[in-house]
Amino acid sequence: MPDVIIDGQEVSVPRGTTVIQAAEQLGIFIPRYCYHPGLSTAGNCRICLVEVEKNPKLQVACNLPVTDGMVVHTRGEAAEDGRRAVLEFLLANHPLDCPVCDQSGECDLQNFYMKFGLYDPRFHEHKVKKKKAVQLGPHVMLDQERCILCSRCVRFTEEITETGELGIFNRGDRAELAIYPGGVLDNPYSTNVVDICPVGALTERESRFKVRVWYLSSAPTVCNGCSRGCNMDMHFVLDRPHLNDGRRVVRVKPRHNPDVNQWWLCDAGRYGLGWIDEGRLGEVRERGATSTWDAALAAIARAMQESDRSRVGVIASAQLTCEELFLIREIFDGARVSAAVPEEPGACDDFLVESDKNPNTQGARLLGMAGPVIGDTTGGLGGSADVPDGQAIAQAARSGELDVLWVFGHDLVELFGAESAHEIAQNVGLLVFSGTNENATVELAQWVVPTAAYLEKDGTFVNCEGRVQRIGRVFAPPAGVREDWSVLLELAERSGRPRDSHEPRTIFAALAAAEAAFAGLTYESIGTLGAPVAGSAARVMSKAEPTP
Amino acid sequence: MALPDELLAELDELILNYPDRRAGLIPALHRCQEELGGWLSPEILEDCAEYFDMEPVEVYGVASFYPMFHLKPVGKHVVGVCRNVSCELRGASDITSRVCRVTGAQAPGRNSTDMRFYVEHLECQGACADAPMIVVDGVYHENLEPDDVDTILGELS
Ligand code: SF4
Ligand code: SF4
Ligand code: FES
Ligand code: FES
Repeated sequence: MPDVIIDGQEVSVPRGTTVIQAAEQLGIFIPRYCYHPGLSTAGNCRICLVEVEKNPKLQVACNLPVTDGMVVHTRGEAAEDGRRAVLEFLLANHPLDCPVCDQSGECDLQNFYMKFGLYDPRFHEHKVKKKKAVQLGPHVMLDQERCILCSRCVRFTEEITETGELGIFNRGDRAELAIYPGGVLDNPYSTNVVDICPVGALTERESRFKVRVWYLSSAPTVCNGCSRGCNMDMHFVLDRPHLNDGRRVVRVKPRHNPDVNQWWLCDAGRYGLGWIDEGRLGEVRERGATSTWDAALAAIARAMQESDRSRVGVIASAQLTCEELFLIREIFDGARVSAAVPEEPGACDDFLVESDKNPNTQGARLLGMAGPVIGDTTGGLGGSADVPDGQAIAQAARSGELDVLWVFGHDLVELFGAESAHEIAQNVGLLVFSGTNENATVELAQWVVPTAAYLEKDGTFVNCEGRVQRIGRVFAPPAGVREDWSVLLELAERSGRPRDSHEPRTIFAALAAAEAAFAGLTYESIGTLGAPVAGSAARVMSKAEPTP
Repeated sequence: MALPDELLAELDELILNYPDRRAGLIPALHRCQEELGGWLSPEILEDCAEYFDMEPVEVYGVASFYPMFHLKPVGKHVVGVCRNVSCELRGASDITSRVCRVTGAQAPGRNSTDMRFYVEHLECQGACADAPMIVVDGVYHENLEPDDVDTILGELS
């Protein structure tokens, strides 16, 4: 383990560690454009210059392995002069359209100019003109003039997606980032190039010109698009409805989690959140007419108390949180409950995307509310074979064996066909639908109660590898809409089975006390990066964690 | 793979000169350009990518970096005019104008309309001692007056 001294602080690091990585361990930030921990080292932008004692020239910190006894200065005149000169070159042909550039406010050209530049520009010549708005694909727009040719995006398409759409063509001040002639940047992970572009050259077409970044709020959550549960930051606006056409979610950024998604997100997950601001249910309805929560819960509680438990059915959902599934299991004890429904497996690949499009199937299995998956390769946690599945419950409802059926979010028409759905509605005493968006089942249910989207509530999901992750609560549900857990707690109260817990955190504590797989876990220990349940095979990502 | 067999056989020999297969890319592109009509079509670039087990985008990056590779069809004769310092000091601009006038190409980087000529600018060709100079189909002509251009190009078929 070589020992290196950086800015007077000593650190011992494994052989092969670069100066930029060693500095990071000491909390010393060396500026970078081309360096990205998830990609190979290019060493082309030169902004990371540092002074190394006994070395006549400045060195690039991102491509310099430490050696024993090395003494590095990241500050001081030499390094700072060098950096300033590099910036001046990088900005020589830069258009400086910050006033209309989406990156403005989170741009490392701006940031590093303010931090390390602050020179008086000396470039009076005409700047080279390039293309300003090239559509690279469905999601990504390129401004060639803003590109500093760091090649991060090129390396991403070469090394991570291995699709090779992007390249740097021509030479000198004519060099430009472009797509291979005739190509399109439409691989399933294409938008990650926008995240890693350190400047405003690559922007997202969806959110382009919609909201200046300083109006964005951000909150950590996870994706609900498939059972991988990639970590993400939700960027949203609440207080300026005139921006972003009144929608709250503006954009999604990947949040680094080395064990789940590293630095990346798939496009399907990133752009799969339109439903949160569109077609939402906003009021309680009884047979299509506006009603109240009070009336709905009173009616449901009464029906539950009056029916024999075996004649009550719940088709819960692997879209619900562990806390909510746990409450359902406890409150509907003795009833026919399942969170599994027959669904076609979706697209998947060998990187992030899983074919199970539910974020919490594993949680449902651990709680005994879903069976094992046939042909499961993820380690198959829990899931007993005698859990009824939603289909069996639907069948029971259809043949008149149920007095009460509560459907959480699913569309019966989509799952079982229009004919069966109508028969279910006719033959069940009381059909309750709770969910976020309009669908065909809403028309059939006697009671419809509007519940929160997952971003609007706190709770946990267990991903395909058995990692419990908190979804946080990014923003509050719209007026009149309630979180499922709070609805369930009130129902418990009204049907004479009150619970001790009053919020997701304490519901989770009760769950952890009851379920061995969750034993010892708390919201604190789950933290922002999640924690594996007992016995999970939660693996460490195999792809491209660069070994120094 | 549209590269002719003889050329492929030649490339197989050629790459043996390099420690790393892909290092042979540039000489291979030169040979392709010489043999296959004076320019590198997208098909040729893609074939080279396949041959060198690279992404087409990388090969295109390399080919577009070097001005001696032509990525568009060129006329029968390629006339390059050096415009680096020595040649420029000794009248390269006049030579350029004359080359354009005689060939009928509008400017360097263009073909004549009859596709007999392609005219381009070159960087220093190492012939500064006898500047200014032009290169016609790979042959150097040095120490020129504009009138020499008429003679040199007039002798071409
Ligand atoms: S890329 Fe950065 S410096 Fe360039 S115009 Fe955009 S905000 Fe300004
Ligand atoms: S587009 Fe962005 S990421 Fe790609 S090379 Fe240019 S500056 Fe780098
Ligand atoms: S970050 Fe080191 S050269 Fe670009
Ligand atoms: S400058 Fe023309 S040959 Fe050197």
